[in-house]
Amino acid sequence: MKKRLFALFLVICMLAGMTACGSKDDGGEAPAGDNILRTAASFAYPSLDVHKEYYGWYTSIYGLSESLFRFDENAKSVPCLAEDAVTDEVGTTWTITLKDGVTFSNGDPLTADMVIRNLQRIAEVNSRFAYFGDYTYEAPDEKTIIIHTGDKVYPMLRNDLTSPEFGMMDLDATTDFDKNPICTGPFVIKEFNPEGDVEVARNDNYWGGAVKLDGAIFYYMQEDDPKLLAMQSGEIDCYNSVSSAALEIYQKEPDKYNVEVVAGTRLQFYILNENRLDPSVREAINLIVDKDAIAEYLKGTVSPATSPFPASAAYSQVTIPGVDVAKAKELLEADGYALNADGIYEKDGKPLKLNICYYAARSLDTDAILIQEQLKAAGIDSYLTVEEDPDSTYIATADFDIALYCMISDKCGDPQYFIDSTLADGAYYNVAGFKSDECQALIEQLRVETDPAKRAELANQILQIAIDDNAFGYVGLFNHTTVLRPGVSGFAEKIPFDFYGIDANTTKGN
Amino acid sequence: MGKQTAKQIAKRIVSLIIILLILSFLTFLLMYLAPGDPAEKRLSSQGVAVTKEVLEAEQERMGLLRPFMVRYGEWLGGVLHGDFGLSFKDDMPVGPKLVAGLKKTTGLASASLLLALLVSIPLGILSAVKRNSIFDHIVRLLSFIGNSLPNFLISVLLMYLLCIRLDLFPVVATGSLQGLFLPAISLAIPMAGRFTRQIRTETIEQLNKEYVTGLRTRGVREKTILINNVFHNAIGHIFTVVALQIGVLMGGSVVIETIFRWPGIGKLVMDSINARDYPTIMGFVLIMGTIYVVINLITDIVYHVLDPRV
Repeated sequence: MKKRLFALFLVICMLAGMTACGSKDDGGEAPAGDNILRTAASFAYPSLDVHKEYYGWYTSIYGLSESLFRFDENAKSVPCLAEDAVTDEVGTTWTITLKDGVTFSNGDPLTADMVIRNLQRIAEVNSRFAYFGDYTYEAPDEKTIIIHTGDKVYPMLRNDLTSPEFGMMDLDATTDFDKNPICTGPFVIKEFNPEGDVEVARNDNYWGGAVKLDGAIFYYMQEDDPKLLAMQSGEIDCYNSVSSAALEIYQKEPDKYNVEVVAGTRLQFYILNENRLDPSVREAINLIVDKDAIAEYLKGTVSPATSPFPASAAYSQVTIPGVDVAKAKELLEADGYALNADGIYEKDGKPLKLNICYYAARSLDTDAILIQEQLKAAGIDSYLTVEEDPDSTYIATADFDIALYCMISDKCGDPQYFIDSTLADGAYYNVAGFKSDECQALIEQLRVETDPAKRAELANQILQIAIDDNAFGYVGLFNHTTVLRPGVSGFAEKIPFDFYGIDANTTKGN
Repeated sequence: MGKQTAKQIAKRIVSLIIILLILSFLTFLLMYLAPGDPAEKRLSSQGVAVTKEVLEAEQERMGLLRPFMVRYGEWLGGVLHGDFGLSFKDDMPVGPKLVAGLKKTTGLASASLLLALLVSIPLGILSAVKRNSIFDHIVRLLSFIGNSLPNFLISVLLMYLLCIRLDLFPVVATGSLQGLFLPAISLAIPMAGRFTRQIRTETIEQLNKEYVTGLRTRGVREKTILINNVFHNAIGHIFTVVALQIGVLMGGSVVIETIFRWPGIGKLVMDSINARDYPTIMGFVLIMGTIYVVINLITDIVYHVLDPRV
């Protein structure tokens, strides 16, 4: 018996030892004075192939890849590998000029021909950008790329080229696209664990000059609590997407932690079903929903939305009426609604009871409950319907009165993507009866307008039509929150997009 | 091993094949009927909306527009040739992903099981022997608390205590013995609580049997009775409880694996469910089905070896 038991323990010990114990280094407290930045990443991917899926977001965060342009703190596309991109008067030919002296980490120069081959590869391997395969390309010299978009005017081309998926790779020298792409960024890969930790080292051949850090380690940590504890124990120097609970803790100790909060581009909004709700009810809902109160409840993780885009954007200059419950009640009463004995508005003996659909992510569950409470206080009853997958349920069937959703409203510093997704005829999220010929005509103009100022003007007109029609309600924009140890800076803490991280100027302040 | 046992094993292997076929078909069907589109999940995984045209092209590329039986037949054909297909999430082969996750989970499960047994066997037996003493009350209280605490709470409390307050372990640790220790303890605490109570109950039951009184009257030492007779007779039941727990552990613990960054199969399958990564989920179901049946078979054999009367 003893032998059998001993054998059982031995087998368990061997299994534990053989299968679990690798030889990797543990994290532990960062060695004092070293110049390696340690941070936490909420996502991890199986590949570093810049062009595929959303992997380019992470190669950009890791400081490995760079696109022809990049976004600055004002969400404006500014030169990076390229000096400029200009279009002809018709808007079907773009000329891009590369900067002098841009090289890959192996020292090879970035040429116009290599850029064209990169663009063609993106069209092949990333279905979201397959339309780049319809264009024709020319390279009249080493530094100039000409793109012909055929008959179709494509004003957003420069914005697309700013996206991280358009990071440039040395397609000739790269032998392993998944694990070691050769790019132009200030860092090169040192160790890559698919769907795990990533370590990068300084690119000594960086074309853009001196790189301040020696390297960086990105620990894959999904949970908020371990990130907070790792920050408190000194094992990591910074991270972003800070939870509201952790944010409160950091803000109480400003001598130990710097917290940066900027309004991001991830939007919480709701769709009002025009096929079911009277115009007076839709207007009343928008006058009742108090987005400031919702943002306050969500404790710094969300900023109240004044439009689908950050307030500073040129295409975000619209007017949304403020909260006015008295006016909402007046509207309902003028339309024949009257309060019943339960304090709920009813019309023709039918109480006003709305179906609020949501999914439990991105704080939409909290939004749904708060909106329900606010409506109830004003005399509008509602019930909540939670779905795991909104796209295949209430978005697909339009079986809702109010549908909550969260998406990135601005992915490339331009309003067209969001307008095309939500307001255009037949758009994926235009499922609840919003239709305006005037709006559609303006959208058609937006699709071919190349002047940024005129585009902004058109976008503002389009959005205002939808706002005045009470087709949607824009609730909040998720903040881009970053916590940094004193001295740490340059971790894209002031940029509203999620796809930037370390760069040549990132420093630990040593 | 007699002819009877060999026949039994052969029967189980045949039933395993039938079970796996039914299991795979039902799982495939349920996933087919469940809401959620893998192509949509994949294209908008970062919250970026896609157009209908792009979505349809991706559905076509991923083969999602083909009839149900064609897809199931292709998948089954692949599995019979040892090919679990490509992940819907990232086009990576499913087989190596499952093997890597299973390897990690096996390590964690073994370590936590070992810890739980090392604690629960002596505590359970001693608690039974010293029934209704202060020691027994304390052990019962602790095992009750251990069994009641949720995994995530144990994990965060341990992390705070051992990593922050006592500075004994790093928060960020993976792959080494240090990295294994905290998740293994977090899994072992509720398990030890459960085992201790079951071992105590089984030991008390044995101690109340007439053969124990007989041995005592014959003057056999209490320690000898406890080890050679009571524990010997109780081990079969304990083994069954442990074997059932192995099946649960091999399914992975999503919470523990996520908090401690342990890339086991539980986390892999949860990520796959969220992404509607059907090939990975199907591979997981097949493997887990096999593990459960094999563990049950082994349990029966070991039970028979430990107690030939069964």
